[in-house]
Amino acid sequence: MKEMIKMVVVLSLICSLSGLTLASVRGVTKPFIEEQVLTYVQGPAIKKVYTGNDNNPVRDRKTFTLKDGAELTVFPFLKGSRLGGVAFESHGRGYGGEIGVMVGFSYDPASDMADVSGIGITTMKETPGVGSRVNDPEFGEQFKNHPFKGMALKSAGGDISAVAGATISSTGTVDAVKTAIATFNEIKGEFSSTWGSQEQP
Amino acid sequence: MNRLWKEFSKGLWNELPPFKVVLGLCPVLAVTKTADNGFGMGLAVIFVLTLSNMLVSSVRKVIPAKVRIACFIVIAASLVVCVELLMQAFAYPLYQQLGIFVPLIVVNCIILGRAEAFASKNPITYAIADGLGMGIGFAMSLTVLGAIREIFGYGTLFGVQILGSWFKPFTFMVEAPGAFVCLGLGLAGMNALTNWQRRLKGLDAIEGPKHDCASCGMCNIK
Repeated sequence: MKEMIKMVVVLSLICSLSGLTLASVRGVTKPFIEEQVLTYVQGPAIKKVYTGNDNNPVRDRKTFTLKDGAELTVFPFLKGSRLGGVAFESHGRGYGGEIGVMVGFSYDPASDMADVSGIGITTMKETPGVGSRVNDPEFGEQFKNHPFKGMALKSAGGDISAVAGATISSTGTVDAVKTAIATFNEIKGEFSSTWGSQEQP
Repeated sequence: MNRLWKEFSKGLWNELPPFKVVLGLCPVLAVTKTADNGFGMGLAVIFVLTLSNMLVSSVRKVIPAKVRIACFIVIAASLVVCVELLMQAFAYPLYQQLGIFVPLIVVNCIILGRAEAFASKNPITYAIADGLGMGIGFAMSLTVLGAIREIFGYGTLFGVQILGSWFKPFTFMVEAPGAFVCLGLGLAGMNALTNWQRRLKGLDAIEGPKHDCASCGMCNIK
């Protein structure tokens, strides 16, 4: 009996100590891990979708709260402390799950002119060699400096050519971009007050 | 001091993992495609093995024999999760390369093997020496194995091109079978070397690896 109690006590003590240690290590490393994920997973995609900025979009990022309560991290592109565009991640339903798309916008707050400046795939589980070709330059190039109008596949009346044999993946990608445009229109009013204020001395 | 050195140095040649003890082969075969992957994995194992040996040895008297394996696993698992978090925080590209094999260090037989066979029976200083020696031996083997496979498989070493453009890479070497072949040839080479040394001393050659089972106890034969 005594041995049994000892077994229970020792094992629970070790487990709770280990839980405590892990919780504190996790707390300490969390901000570093977020930084690393931004640099190595989203960073390369952000670089791809916009050129001509001279700031570090990852460092200047801000989090916005959308109407439906969701939080969205937006990466700004500044040139000489003037806002030239933004990028954020959006998701669409693909063939093998969600497709994450980093969508870049060129945006001029003064004239309210905005275009899609480019897209980059961040996460996907599409069939290699078929659906995965939405990540190929041939498909992605079509979104470069694309106006909001006509952002749909050719079969749906737009001017984006789908990847042959991968209609679902192509539709998922375009849907993600369309969601991003809707989100952009929803929050674009807040951009100039968030980053434009840097113009003042 | 003499014994301390003996416990430390046995992991560097006489019981060099994974060649001589042939334990923990899963990460050895999977992550040694390049020298720096092998080195990174080796560093993670040194960290986990040394600390797990230290902790297991320091609590060896309070752990009841019936639940000792569970206790060892909890200790090793906590350390591995720590390594995983630290790697994510400070060496993310390495984490992306090693992927699932970092969490799998928990079930690496070397960790549990040393905890059960050595750390749970010996005082804390010897346990640390043993863990450090075994860990460094493991890291060394992984780096060497990774270097050989990388040179023949890609023509590079630590990511630097060392063989000229005339070189046509043997893709075979960076696939799983190449790992088995490398490991086998390495072990054969080590045994040949041992036998050659014995012959120089006028002793008979030994068939297969010969362990001093009393001090090791890795397989628990008494």
